[in-house]
Amino acid sequence: MGQKQGEMVQGTLEMLILKTLALEPMHGYGVALRIEQVSAGVFRVNPGSLLPALARMERAGSVKSEWRSTENNRRAKYYMLTAVGRKALMDETAAWGRQTAAIARILEA
Amino acid sequence: MAWLRNMAERFRAHFSRERVEHEMDEELRGFLDASAEAKRRAGMTPEDAAHAARVEMGSPNAVKHHIRSAVWETVVENLWQDLRYSVRMLAKSPGFTLVAVLSLALGIGANTAIFSLMDVVMLRSLPVDEPGRLVLFGQGRMVGSTGSLPSESSDLFSYPFFRSFSQTNQVFSGVAATDSVEFSTHGSLSGAGSEVVTASLVSGSFFSVLGVNPDRGRMLNDSDDRTPGSGTVAVASYAWWQRHGSDPAAVGKTVHIEGINYNIVGISPPGFFGTTVGEAPDFWIPLSMEKEISPGWNDLNNKWFQSLYLIARLKPVVTPAQAAANTNLLFKQYIRSEYLGQFPSQKDLADFEHAQIELTPAARGLSRLRVEFSLPLEILTAIAGLVLLIACANLASLLLARGTARSREFAMRMAIGATRSRIVRQLLTESFMLALLGAALGVASAWKASHLLLIMASHSPQVAAMDVSPNLRVLGFTLILTVFTGLLFGVAPAIRATRFDLNGSLKQGRGMAAPASRISLARMLIVAQIALSLVLLAAANLFLRSLVKLSNVDTGFNRQNVLVFSLDQGAAEIPSDARLVNIQQQIEDRVQAVPGVHAASFSCFLFNQGMWSDDISVQGVPRTPENSQDVIFNVVGKGFFSAMSLPIVAGRGLNATDRTDSPKVAVINETMAHRFFPDGLPVGHRFGMGESLMHSGDIEIVGVVKNAKYVALQESPEAAVYFPLSQHIQYLFNFEVRYTGEEAQMIPAVRRAIAEVNPNIPINGISTLAEQVEESTANQRLIARLSAFFGLLAAFLVCIGIYGLLSYAVARRTSEIGVRMALGARRSNVLWLILREILVLVAIGIAIGVPLALAGNRLAAKLLYGLSPADPLSLFAAIAMMFAIASLAGYLPARKASLVEPTVALRCE
Repeated sequence: MGQKQGEMVQGTLEMLILKTLALEPMHGYGVALRIEQVSAGVFRVNPGSLLPALARMERAGSVKSEWRSTENNRRAKYYMLTAVGRKALMDETAAWGRQTAAIARILEA
Repeated sequence: MAWLRNMAERFRAHFSRERVEHEMDEELRGFLDASAEAKRRAGMTPEDAAHAARVEMGSPNAVKHHIRSAVWETVVENLWQDLRYSVRMLAKSPGFTLVAVLSLALGIGANTAIFSLMDVVMLRSLPVDEPGRLVLFGQGRMVGSTGSLPSESSDLFSYPFFRSFSQTNQVFSGVAATDSVEFSTHGSLSGAGSEVVTASLVSGSFFSVLGVNPDRGRMLNDSDDRTPGSGTVAVASYAWWQRHGSDPAAVGKTVHIEGINYNIVGISPPGFFGTTVGEAPDFWIPLSMEKEISPGWNDLNNKWFQSLYLIARLKPVVTPAQAAANTNLLFKQYIRSEYLGQFPSQKDLADFEHAQIELTPAARGLSRLRVEFSLPLEILTAIAGLVLLIACANLASLLLARGTARSREFAMRMAIGATRSRIVRQLLTESFMLALLGAALGVASAWKASHLLLIMASHSPQVAAMDVSPNLRVLGFTLILTVFTGLLFGVAPAIRATRFDLNGSLKQGRGMAAPASRISLARMLIVAQIALSLVLLAAANLFLRSLVKLSNVDTGFNRQNVLVFSLDQGAAEIPSDARLVNIQQQIEDRVQAVPGVHAASFSCFLFNQGMWSDDISVQGVPRTPENSQDVIFNVVGKGFFSAMSLPIVAGRGLNATDRTDSPKVAVINETMAHRFFPDGLPVGHRFGMGESLMHSGDIEIVGVVKNAKYVALQESPEAAVYFPLSQHIQYLFNFEVRYTGEEAQMIPAVRRAIAEVNPNIPINGISTLAEQVEESTANQRLIARLSAFFGLLAAFLVCIGIYGLLSYAVARRTSEIGVRMALGARRSNVLWLILREILVLVAIGIAIGVPLALAGNRLAAKLLYGLSPADPLSLFAAIAMMFAIASLAGYLPARKASLVEPTVALRCE
């Protein structure tokens, strides 16, 4: 993550999306914006990878979607976590914690 | 109905591609708008913001492509997951999987085997050019020859008519003729050893009319078929050529048949077996060689010798109706000018009036097998279909029970977010996997089974030459059947299994009753199985009883201890004159002298080998409707009646005094005696063959012999005449030997005796008279065996179904039973409680099954002998069997219930 801005460790995008959606249902751009803001601009998620990821997760059952109107009265597709998604988030967060801790130990050794 | 339309509308919209595409566009547009708006708020100009947003996203089409492939990948991934999960679940319960796969394999395999037989016998087209334009004259039911004036619908035609018709008709682009008989004889290839070969005599136009081109060399043409005796050429079949090592130099070699060398001019293409389904001649030889191939037959140019099938190709613009009109016009003209003399009799005129040719489509070739075997095949198809239905119902009820047992698993998966459709899909994957496994096993066994069926259906040791290995059409049929099967048994249980109250299921222990509807569906399935099995069992009983009756028919002759040798005197090149008679009688005498032999005799026909029949006229006996029926003729040796154990009732049998040059004599049977001489003694009277009174003094009746069966066990008494072989000189293929002692020692002794007289006479085959009688009921035995097998299979499946249902019910009611017993119910009460449940279902199933069985059995009426399709004994036996089977299957779980210890049952909650 020390490299160029916006590049992500393989496989982490879905975990970040899950984490973001865990707060509240959001539309696609909302997810992208949120990730960018919270990461203080380190990660910028391209719609070309975000939307396919959401579609894949919806198909796999970890998120579901619904058309709602936005704060400024437009129709948008909102995504929200399912129970499967919640469980996946827990598992992945735990796995991530173990991995980063292990990597940190290796780097400090 | 508005709500229905509305729902359909929504349903369609949900799955429509446009909707998905439209939503994708809308989402992308929303994304762009939101992104641009954020940039505007951050201070960009609207144009710059919109541009930057578009640049960030890149090509919308590329994004959409990514989304689509992401979705597709998940579909494949899900399917893979489902498959792996299914394999695990099926492996977990091997007993269930085994029963399911085996019953499906039997069901699907039986259907595939029968369909592949149906395909060759009834559906497959000849591998010729445009088979749809070919027509057959008549229906091809008759084989052999007829010498009477054409009357009613003709099947067999003379060579002169073929010649004349080919030249005068205006509706066919070509006419082909083929002898109705496939000749079995001996031949040797360029000096090699002699072997059995089959030959088909065809016109020179045969291959060009069919549009069959040679694999190598050339086919026959008109020049081969110009003058009698001139066409010493032959086309070999591809199969024969392959049997002889696919010799590249085969064309040009000669094959020696009955004293003539035939030059092999070509090899037929692979896959072409001729025009008669079930026959595959080794050689096609021009009709001009008719006399040489079968010396006993009449002259080809004799217009009264009608032995040919005619097949013609319609001209491109001619309709079948036009063709029929022109054909019949020419046929009538030909009969009037060639057959009716100057002073035709009343009967001749009546025959002429009715004479006609029916043109039938010949795309699928000629098939007596089709005529004989289509009803048995239809019945077998129905039986196999019922078995598959029962297997489906059985599996559905097993899956229902499993679904109930797995409801906690499903509830768990749904609780953590799996949708119901996802679980239904998973369950259907399991069902289809079972169906596919069953189908794979079924097709593998069908391969063998259809060949076995063919052997059983062939009526003789010589198997009909047909390719019954499953082809694309058969495999397609099986695939459709499999999918249909999977849906039939899989859908209802899958939907039922996932319909429940989540919380309830998670909490549910064993004691709670499952929803009543699920149980009643399981009961309906059991009732359906019982009803269908009853139909099968009743049919099986009917066929078995009919077969027993048929086997007990008195044939008149004694079928035990008679060996039948098939001798080919033609292959030994013996001329058919007094020398032939001499050799035949020498063989009879020599074999008669073998120790242990009681009698030995040649005969033209034996039981169930077809017949030769005609009118006769008796001197001094006026014709009545009763005695104008055809009489069956046979040509036999003097030992025939002893060999068959047919006692002489009056006069004498045939003996050595009946020589070629002595007055002509015959022995008649009781039916003939009764028909022509109702109140007098027939011995000493004279008769002649044919209806003409001119010849009625030709032959003297010297004796009367006991009646017998001649063509079939079912036949009503037939009038028959036996001529001595010395007065009807011809090759006689049957040689019967009545003996006592060991068959194994008798055969070589008889062979030696025959070889001592003439070592060149080959023995084509050896069977017994009992076998020949048995072969005549091949269809009935095939059906009886298969229906009994399938009936037992169905009963076995019902057993499994009942056992499963009751075991489940007992497990569910353990605590209830415990309470009952604690309150004083006895073990017998509990036993009855459980058994009663199943007996009620059986009673309902039987009530539904009886009318079904009665309706279904009517289909079989034609195949039954001496029984009505509504035979009460068969039906009662089936009902009794059903009750016995159900009680047996119900007894084990019921007994288990009766052994429940009240304390244990109450504590297990």
